Amino acid sequence: MMTQTPTPNITYNKTDEPSTLDVSVGPQHPGSGHVRLLMRVDGDYIVSIDPDIGYVHRGCEKIAEYRTAVSSIPHLERPCIIDAIHLNWAYVLPIEELQGVVVPPRGNYICTIAAEMNRIMSHLYWLAINAGVFSGHTTIFMWAFGDRDLFIELAEWLTGARLTYSFIPPGGPRRDLPFGFEERLTKLLDYFERRLVEYDRIFFRNPLVIARAKGVGILKREDAIKLGVTGPVLRGSGVKYDVRKLEPYGAYQELEFEIPSYEEGDSYARFLVRFEEMKQSIHIIRQALKKMPKGPIARKAPLIIPEGEAIGRVESSRGELMYMVQGDNSDKPYRVKIMNGSFRNLIAMPALIRNVHIADMPIIYGSLDYWPVEADR
Amino acid sequence: MNQATPTREEVLISQLKNRFPEAVKEGKVDRARYVTLTFEKDHLLEIAEFMRNEMVFDHVKGIAGVDYPAHKKIEVLYFIGSFSKAEIEDLVVVLKTELPRETAVIASVTSIWPSSHFFERETFEMFGVKFEGHPDMRKLLTLDNWEGPPPMLKDVKFPEIGQR
Repeated sequence: MMTQTPTPNITYNKTDEPSTLDVSVGPQHPGSGHVRLLMRVDGDYIVSIDPDIGYVHRGCEKIAEYRTAVSSIPHLERPCIIDAIHLNWAYVLPIEELQGVVVPPRGNYICTIAAEMNRIMSHLYWLAINAGVFSGHTTIFMWAFGDRDLFIELAEWLTGARLTYSFIPPGGPRRDLPFGFEERLTKLLDYFERRLVEYDRIFFRNPLVIARAKGVGILKREDAIKLGVTGPVLRGSGVKYDVRKLEPYGAYQELEFEIPSYEEGDSYARFLVRFEEMKQSIHIIRQALKKMPKGPIARKAPLIIPEGEAIGRVESSRGELMYMVQGDNSDKPYRVKIMNGSFRNLIAMPALIRNVHIADMPIIYGSLDYWPVEADR
Repeated sequence: MNQATPTREEVLISQLKNRFPEAVKEGKVDRARYVTLTFEKDHLLEIAEFMRNEMVFDHVKGIAGVDYPAHKKIEVLYFIGSFSKAEIEDLVVVLKTELPRETAVIASVTSIWPSSHFFERETFEMFGVKFEGHPDMRKLLTLDNWEGPPPMLKDVKFPEIGQR
């Protein structure tokens, strides 16, 4: 079905305006996946951009129709490997709803702990690459990546894999907490809390970072609502919207936490939202470790998906993540639809990267925490 | 018999049914916070405008196509939500309509909800649904040299994926 000769229909250096020039940024890996931004520049200014996505499109939704519900989990969490628990969980929630399976409380607590650890890891990856490298700050790249690995080691101990866990099949998590896990996690959180103070000093209050990020790429509150962006991008524009509060899943109903949000709407506000979210995640994990009940962690779930349609909503690291699953009484889903934060935040890119210097582009791109593979699926 | 007060979801359904008696065919609440409304495709823009202006549903969370070759129809699902009205911000409203499979054409809601822009492009590419009035109806995800029917249609098979 594929012709042998690709025919790209883009002509470089030919635009209607004589003073402008079309430049293709990418599709080489800009730090998070393959994406191309077609920029029209006028001197040092970006006039407009056209995001050209799809370089890492794998047809996850189509493949899911060929696989049984359980064997789809590994490839349906692949779109965002650094946020795998959330993708896994959002896919399993609608299946459990259709099957009428209720996860035991202890299972919910374990999933919540794993998810919040994953949020910290994902935000540390963002801090290292999308904030650190893109703003030329090498130290924070080293620090954040180093500390992220400590969380990865614990996640490997818990789930058996460093990044792609496939930890939650329908019915509850695969494993209970290993012996001694709570002590090591508590110790790590104490260490990480001290590190966050140092992050604050070296990066978030660094005059150079502030000079580059503050007032750059301002997304006003009403524009954020109109464009339907989600996650830290939305909360950086002053909208306190978090699925963990609005539709508590897992154990979030019983845990206390705040939704960090900033009114400014610039890149720096989005930086700070993620920084504060890491603090909240620490707070959530500590409470969950204390409140965790004893008992079974999972129930047996049937292999078939009953007829019907359900959605799973979770607050992933990149915002509201929804999986719609339609079943038809067979072991394969009739349709799986993924609606994720990266794809929804994509629309903010042409809106924000215009009438700015070329040098501001990496900062704005990084502040959106756009993950191309998640958007392309 | 004690008369239970109608829930927010039921109020929403009856509001839309009263306003558009001939357009909204069915409304159901699968679970709390999740409302599904089936409607006639020609009335999409009226319903969307009413929902945005009067009910303050201000963004689209996603658009999904579902293909039913046996019934010769493609369903299009709009997942609608609200950021700016606190009472309804946890709801997800699904607007569901069916299109004939051969001529799948529906009005674009980008003028009412700009957040639907990329989702409409994706649904156009994956299901061949044409969104009339969309400002930029191009391919989005597949390769430039992809030729063939829209890949998410049920009769487009990919044997190389293999059943598992």
